[in-house]
Amino acid sequence: MSAIGIPSASAARDRRQPGWRAWALLAPMVLWLALFVIIPGLILIVYSFCERDEVGGVIFAFNADNYRRVFEPVYLRIFARSIGYAGLTTAICVVLGYPVACYIARAGEQLRNRLLLLVMVPFWTSFLIRTYAWMTILKQEGLLNGLLQAAGAGFGPLNLLYTPTAVVIGLVYAYLPFMILPVYGSAEKLDNSLIEAAHDLGAGPVRAFSAVIVPLTLPGIAAGTLLVFVPAIGMFAITDLMGGARVPMIGNVIQNQFLQARDWPFGAALGVVFMLMFALTYALLQRRHASPA
Amino acid sequence: MRSLKSIVLALAALGAAVLAPAAEVNLFGWSEYIPQEVLDGFTRETGIKVNFETYASNEELLSKLVAAGGSYDLIQPSEYAAELLIRRGLLAPLDRAKLTNLKNIGAEFRRLPHDPADRFTVPYMTGTVGIVVNTEKVAGPIRGYRDVFQTKFKDRLVVLNDNREIVTWALYSAGLPVNDINPAALAKVRPEIARWVRLVKVFDSDSPKTALLNGDVDIGIVWSGEAALLWNENRKFKYVLPAEGAHRFIDILAIPAGAAHQAGAHALINYILRPEVSKIVSDKFPYTNPNLAARQLLSPAQLANPASYPAAPGRLETFRDIGKAAADIDRLMTDLKSAQ
Amino acid sequence: MDWFLRGWTALVFLFLYGPVLVLVACSFNASRLNVVWEGFTLDWYQKLLANAPLLRAAKNSLLIATATAILSVLLGTAGAWLLHRYRYRCSQLIRTIVAIPMVMPEILMGISLLILFATIGLKLGFTTVIIGHVTFSFPFVLIAVQVRLHGLDPALEEAALDLGATPLRAFWLVIVPCLKPAIIAGALMAFTLSMDELIVTFFTRSASAETLPVQVYGMARVGLNPMLNALSTLFILATVAFVLFSEYLRKLSR
Repeated sequence: MSAIGIPSASAARDRRQPGWRAWALLAPMVLWLALFVIIPGLILIVYSFCERDEVGGVIFAFNADNYRRVFEPVYLRIFARSIGYAGLTTAICVVLGYPVACYIARAGEQLRNRLLLLVMVPFWTSFLIRTYAWMTILKQEGLLNGLLQAAGAGFGPLNLLYTPTAVVIGLVYAYLPFMILPVYGSAEKLDNSLIEAAHDLGAGPVRAFSAVIVPLTLPGIAAGTLLVFVPAIGMFAITDLMGGARVPMIGNVIQNQFLQARDWPFGAALGVVFMLMFALTYALLQRRHASPA
Repeated sequence: MRSLKSIVLALAALGAAVLAPAAEVNLFGWSEYIPQEVLDGFTRETGIKVNFETYASNEELLSKLVAAGGSYDLIQPSEYAAELLIRRGLLAPLDRAKLTNLKNIGAEFRRLPHDPADRFTVPYMTGTVGIVVNTEKVAGPIRGYRDVFQTKFKDRLVVLNDNREIVTWALYSAGLPVNDINPAALAKVRPEIARWVRLVKVFDSDSPKTALLNGDVDIGIVWSGEAALLWNENRKFKYVLPAEGAHRFIDILAIPAGAAHQAGAHALINYILRPEVSKIVSDKFPYTNPNLAARQLLSPAQLANPASYPAAPGRLETFRDIGKAAADIDRLMTDLKSAQ
Repeated sequence: MDWFLRGWTALVFLFLYGPVLVLVACSFNASRLNVVWEGFTLDWYQKLLANAPLLRAAKNSLLIATATAILSVLLGTAGAWLLHRYRYRCSQLIRTIVAIPMVMPEILMGISLLILFATIGLKLGFTTVIIGHVTFSFPFVLIAVQVRLHGLDPALEEAALDLGATPLRAFWLVIVPCLKPAIIAGALMAFTLSMDELIVTFFTRSASAETLPVQVYGMARVGLNPMLNALSTLFILATVAFVLFSEYLRKLSR
């Protein structure tokens, strides 16, 4: 992507060598990451090698038992299920959110900012209140069933609340803005003239879309996927409230080690494996993405 | 001579007022659980300022107390968390001479297993875990756990999302001791719990009343406080204490070891133990008030609420700290829930 | 094409605002538990305005979310630009570490930050809550800005530099305006994440820095009541009023 159209390639390379000033500017972020991400991460790693004592404290025993336990089939299955829900959520968010992002990107400047804000405003209400509103809609004697009945639907009340369907609705609702916003960020720079050019060259709307628009917004979709998929794996508040907490997610299991089992070391080990798995996948994807350049 | 002495005394008093740190108590309690009205009344009367910091789970209390070494003067753990704190030497012994109102607490709430000599803890409010039945939807009699977990009630049940509670119910219905949890006992109740888990529609500890109110389920096993709210809302919700036995939980007032303002903390405990003050708490939270003198001030309607003051309580037990067995319970429940 | 996009957007907005409409309606419901409609009332608004702790928590939340958004935008935009513009020796590693807070379970972040703050002797309060919130929010800004930088014409900056601008000035005058949509999107995401966060806040707050979600969680113990719906409604109304007002100002200035 970064084919630079200036005469001397070596000059360009020099320009990308960071001087002391560039390092100094990056320093705040590096410091922040070191203090508030790496050090807490190290604390967790130390905990994960400890053992739980009789009164719920930790003993520095340094063994890998907790890690052996993480790879038991029960926990792997829970991992897989969480990833499944997150994947489905992401896919639905792309389908629902992509056209919205395109529409907002192509609107006039004023309307654009207003719409962006409107995408986010529902989420400035309290999480619990919002979720209870969804319950009012989905419950057996709720709004949706009432509307269906009034419309003369020929079937009995739908059993929606406390089912996987309700969980997916809740997850999509919670994460949709995090798909729309980054896609908008990349679609906004789409030049209308580019699309017109495609039309002029005889491309129909479908072809213009698939050959011109989609490739240009691909980085936005990738970023949206990252921002939706990754947080959704660990999400459990929605699964608990809308799904009735019948099947545990990886987030539940980790939380329970702290709130109920009082087994901090195992909770830490689960978290460390979870984060390492993600970091490795992410680093590999990045490398693959960077290498062709 | 006399006037000189009085001037000196006045100056000394002034100096003390200026130099001594303002009297205060750092209270660390459940969010919303101690009404602001009570704290304001205490400050008005004694001049001691109360800094109220809140937590939302016993674990948050423990981690802020242990891991972060917070400086609190009065805390509010549940009975099993208090036992843990006592075993770790984190609570200060109470000075009973300063707690003149302790006599108001009923005998059945004293000398309990978590603090056999009443050295460290004073009960604040208590409650039970029992069965709520929507009598409009469920006809037959429901007396205990076995009646709840019947195949005909599949997908009509809400229970607390608390692994130890669920295991306790199974132990009760198998006639096993609930505070001595070992692998053999867990193996014995495992098939029964596996069957139960498949019948339940909703697991919810925070607000199990919602599913009942919404009509999505007909029977629940919930905190008595939730059941009392349901009863206040609609008399069709009946509360039953399971015949096999039930958990009685006790929320406690205690002073952490090394608290800086122990005198103030004692004064606040004693103030809360007053009948007319304890009544304010009962007005806001329909739990069981262990303060018998306060109970006499309650309205007939409050006392008639079967969830707050059950007629025939039967067998009630408090939880002991079960140490490492908590992890075994978690593993068992995770296993069974994810097997569905 | 256009009618399709417009129709689709309308449907998605219906999905987004359906629950909001229900929530607003419930704020006028006379029933405390909000199960059935029992009649219109403004009681909840009256009770809300008399509830000082709840209003203070709302104010704290707004303050914390604003600070989080500003800091996240500063860290995230600068970080994205520098990582895009220069080839640091460990760019790859830094990019990976940036993304870790997004995947870190909240309870782990909360507890490990609490241990860290206790060790270095930082007193819990606004500072610690904001630190926690910025840590999980700024990656969202960084990633949104990164997307925008991807495919930005390098000639733009070259031109500015050729015209004698310092790199900093070139960044400010040429790059930042290009990044504006992504920065706005990022700031909105950071603000929203902070407004809604519960668990990290539990472990990093003190009595003086109580936020709205924490307060609401505490209220759930006694039973949520429509006061919270009233508060949510006021938030939405205030935002809409703000949008209309800024529109009005823009028209005036023209």
